[in-house]
Amino acid sequence: MRPQIVFLPGLLCDSRVFAAQVAALSPVADIKVADFSQDASIEAMAARALRLFEGAVTLIGFSMGGRAALEAFRQAPERIARLCLMDTGAAPAKDSEAETRGALLALARAEGMAALARQWLPPMLHPDREADPALIVPLGAMVEAATLAQAERQIGALLARPDARGLLAEIRCPVLVMVGRQDRWAPLAQHEALAAAIPGAELAIIEDAGHFAPVERPEAVTRALARWLGVGDQMAGEAADRIPDSPIFDRARQRRGYRLNKMAMGLCEPANRDAFRSDEPAYLARFALDETEIAAVMRRDWREMVRLGGNVFHLLKISAIDPVRMTEIGAHQAGMDHDVFLRERLGKKT
Amino acid sequence: MAQLIGGLGSSHVPSITAALDKGLSQSPDWKPFFDGTEAGKAWVRAHNPDVAVVIFNDHANAFFLDRVPTFAVGCADSYEPIDEGWGPRAIPTFSGHAEFGWHLLDTMVENSFDPMIVQEIKVDHGMQVPMELFFGRPETAWPVKVVPIFVNVIQFPIPLPARCHELGKVLRRAIDSFPGDERIVVIGTGGLSHQLQGARAGFINPEADRQFLLDIAANPARLAALTREDYVRLYGSEGAEMMMWLVMRGAMDDAVRVHHSHYHAPASMTGAAMLVLENGAG
Repeated sequence: MRPQIVFLPGLLCDSRVFAAQVAALSPVADIKVADFSQDASIEAMAARALRLFEGAVTLIGFSMGGRAALEAFRQAPERIARLCLMDTGAAPAKDSEAETRGALLALARAEGMAALARQWLPPMLHPDREADPALIVPLGAMVEAATLAQAERQIGALLARPDARGLLAEIRCPVLVMVGRQDRWAPLAQHEALAAAIPGAELAIIEDAGHFAPVERPEAVTRALARWLGVGDQMAGEAADRIPDSPIFDRARQRRGYRLNKMAMGLCEPANRDAFRSDEPAYLARFALDETEIAAVMRRDWREMVRLGGNVFHLLKISAIDPVRMTEIGAHQAGMDHDVFLRERLGKKT
Repeated sequence: MAQLIGGLGSSHVPSITAALDKGLSQSPDWKPFFDGTEAGKAWVRAHNPDVAVVIFNDHANAFFLDRVPTFAVGCADSYEPIDEGWGPRAIPTFSGHAEFGWHLLDTMVENSFDPMIVQEIKVDHGMQVPMELFFGRPETAWPVKVVPIFVNVIQFPIPLPARCHELGKVLRRAIDSFPGDERIVVIGTGGLSHQLQGARAGFINPEADRQFLLDIAANPARLAALTREDYVRLYGSEGAEMMMWLVMRGAMDDAVRVHHSHYHAPASMTGAAMLVLENGAG
């Protein structure tokens, strides 16, 4: 039942780039980090990532790994349960890219991987943290651990990457597009377009982060992933974010609304319906409701009753005595005129 | 041995039977929906099942919040329709297949499901609506015996969709190992997309609903892999109950034929669907 997750690292990256996320999510998911050090094409990286598990898998791809994740979707769409595309893109290489990346390789050939790291890494970070040793030291060590041959293979793969833009509209699994707001390499606008091109995709913007968002803002990235994966509840110390304007009947609402719901469900008994009809305040008084709750019921204020922990299936018993249509209860909660509600939410011709 | 002859899916929106009660089935609002249910009713008539296992949720009628079973299985000889607050409805009491209920309970526990055992309970629109859509409204007695499986899809933590799918596989084991010659249908109920609470009330998602109807037949693993939050986001807070269709689908063969699929939106505030699946490749 635990989700299977593959993290797909970027150019010259290894599992270190996802260390915080893997540590936080490991209690609730089976996680592997793909090793692309030997691959010379995006297609081969995708195939490697897919081989790490059997069956349905969640792919979380960073930068070059995001491109490999899209390619994995092209290769085996039926296996992809969820897709997270982080600081990445779908377009093929621009003409200028060969020159920029070639210069970086030339530097590495002449002066080594440490020189490449010194030039390449700072613009990948938030402008204020280009010299932050807490970032530069571990990331530099990671890049220096890669070989020149790996850099040549991966840069070759990036320059020859497939155009994944035609694929985006076909993706049907849940997709999270994530980007550091100060990502100068793969900017926010590129991710807004990416999210807009994928049906139902969510966009998460990581504040105060550059391209290396999972390293620069590890907690924020972990939180966004956990919420999207639906495991926020299971992780210690994390309150799960919920779906906007959709009250989920969780433990807090259950406790808050217990007496209110008990009062409402009591109306399944004919004798209680009679009691409610003949003396509503007296019936309500039996259930130790507070003044706010009594006022909300007496006003038939459905929105307020739900806010107070009322659950609609319980509250509907009130509408059996004092007839109100479900759509009117819906319109009230939506804050809309009934006809407008029918037309705009339910597509009725009114 | 007992035989699973089909997997059925149906919404259980209470306004469906309310429309029948009021004689509105041929009104402009309702005719397109009811027309789409005739093929399901005809399939049931032609295949004449003996038992219907119905997977549904109680809606604050038989279970209050004082005790909320995640899964509960009925093993009673009969189930009366419950008064949901509008007064009793004029439909016959359901006959239960107690022996199969007990056998299912045994099979579930032996396969690491630990359900509540229910001996006396009344059933609400969650069971009534699908039964009336597939079997019509009999004058005196229902033509099949029923076995209710109640799923908590209201009080969080509700079960994982993948767990519902797994439960269906265990249900199939129970059917295949039941020493009788019963012809059994499994009915997954609920949905499709709807939201009755909060500022997003009235949310329906016909595109996602139509994809659900395709995937429940051809790619149920995708629906089983979604999270509960995905269900709420895609199908609305009350649409999360659609995961109960996965119990039905899990009971069926990996390969199924879609005999009938119909979608209509909205029925009241809900995307409404009917589905008939048969085992075997198309």
